[in-house]
Amino acid sequence: MTGLIWIVEAILLGCLLVNRFAGLSAVRPAWARWSLIFGAGAAVGIGLSSVLFFLFSTLLGMRAVALGFEVAILAWAGYEAFRRRAPAPQPAEERPAPLLIFVAAIGLLLALALATAAIATSWDANPQGDWDAWAIWNLRARFLASSGALAQRAWSPVLGASTHAEYPLLLSSFVARCWAFSHSFSTVVPAATSYVFFLALIALVAGGMAALRGPTLGMLAALVLASTPALLHQVPNQYADVPLACYFAGAIVFALLDRPILAGIFAGCAAWTKDEGVLFLVVLLVITAAWKRRTAVATLAGAAPAAALAIVFKTWLARGNAGLLSTSLPGAGKRLADAGRYGATMAAFGREFAHMGVGWYHPILPVIALAVVLRFDRERRRDAAYCAALAGFLLLGNFGVYILTNNDLAWQLHTSLNRVLLQIWPALVLAAFVGLRKPKAAVVVKPAMPAAKLRRKARA
Amino acid sequence: MTIAIFLCLWGSFASYGSESDFQQQNRDPYQVSIQFTRFAGALSSIPEGAGVGYITDAPPGSGADTGMFLSAQYVMAPRLLKRGAAQEWVLGNFSHPADFDLVGRSQGLRLQQDFGEGVVLFRKVK
Repeated sequence: MTGLIWIVEAILLGCLLVNRFAGLSAVRPAWARWSLIFGAGAAVGIGLSSVLFFLFSTLLGMRAVALGFEVAILAWAGYEAFRRRAPAPQPAEERPAPLLIFVAAIGLLLALALATAAIATSWDANPQGDWDAWAIWNLRARFLASSGALAQRAWSPVLGASTHAEYPLLLSSFVARCWAFSHSFSTVVPAATSYVFFLALIALVAGGMAALRGPTLGMLAALVLASTPALLHQVPNQYADVPLACYFAGAIVFALLDRPILAGIFAGCAAWTKDEGVLFLVVLLVITAAWKRRTAVATLAGAAPAAALAIVFKTWLARGNAGLLSTSLPGAGKRLADAGRYGATMAAFGREFAHMGVGWYHPILPVIALAVVLRFDRERRRDAAYCAALAGFLLLGNFGVYILTNNDLAWQLHTSLNRVLLQIWPALVLAAFVGLRKPKAAVVVKPAMPAAKLRRKARA
Repeated sequence: MTIAIFLCLWGSFASYGSESDFQQQNRDPYQVSIQFTRFAGALSSIPEGAGVGYITDAPPGSGADTGMFLSAQYVMAPRLLKRGAAQEWVLGNFSHPADFDLVGRSQGLRLQQDFGEGVVLFRKVK
């Protein structure tokens, strides 16, 4: 259980840094600011501590330096937060709170409670997670948690194709860090890490959408995600897809909020998480250069550290391991010209999208209901197009990978497409919600008016 | 909008029911947790830095073979398993009872210790 302390420490580190540097103090409402700080802080804190552990402990063999460096940053960020603490806020003018926000907030809390209960059933039944958790992510974490040269076995070609030793190491490195610092291989650590990424995803979407489009749409967007059956099924599996979805969503949210460095940091972390994250980083940089030219360099600067680590890892450290694309190059022309592969892949995209629900429920239903009732805001079409272009090119890129792959296509689609769609689903939800009209606050709960104020009003 | 909220809550309740049923019916389907008990003896006998050979009776390339190998590798890490009997230490991971001494000798190995439950440690005959 001491591993949990190190997860909390990473979250705290991230929250303090985001609070200090992200410039979110102007974000309103206040809960949206704190939601963004928690969501971004958790994801950035995990990413930063993963990078520090990999650099100092795994590559340089200086675990104590990794720990000391992290604690030093935490202490400095904590001191800065104390030094720059805001003066006591003036009592805000009491404003009527739309009933809808309360209903949506209660709905979100209920959905999160049900999601946690659903996820917890798996913590008991499958504490080691599903296949890829113990065959890839946590297996490599066990190597990385070892001291000395043993840690470098995490990318040994001997591990074989099933363990994907060429995959980037954000998740494995973070889990290894918690295990190494706590001197225990507790199954709680990877399970809790996956759950934290889920909460961070919900917090980022809720806070980001509330800041962009108002609290009601923020709550509703988070509610759609918190009740997505395919997402809830993936959280306890302890795979890298939920972290990746979180980094995708975070990058988009901060790009829309005009925080390009933070957007870049999220995209860089995505590239250090999984191969699909490298595709996302490229797509984000290209779309940002086309849509938001002035922020492209800052986005690139934010992405550079983690992306550079991912590039060094894949091209130098793990160069003995063949990746999916390099093994797919022989015979690629023949597969590209095979019309049957396009039909099979398109059918699988449709089938897996339909399977994101459970029973008669599909998470697209509430989005359609809101689109019918609220309709789309013409003034927001630029942001909606930005998100849709990102999601669209990601889908297109992944579609191309399936056409090219040298693996058996049916097997590849069956074992991975549901998770690829899950990674992109929050981006699609953001694209839909950022374009919706704001709901009118037709029903309001007025605060009780003091008698003296009532008399003054009557006199006036 | 209330409809959207209720739709989401419907999804939450449906997910909870579906996930609970799924987990009840799929408790550790690859028996990973139990491997820590099965391999406990081998873990204490083989040095962490060793490269360890691996032999099994599972049909090569089958799902059972891959699952048994990867779950063994997960438990044995940071010891690195290499399929075959070329290493100094060789771990036997068997799903059926057999004359493990004979199995070892046929591959130039000496039976070092039989830990039970199909887990056997061999050493290369010099």
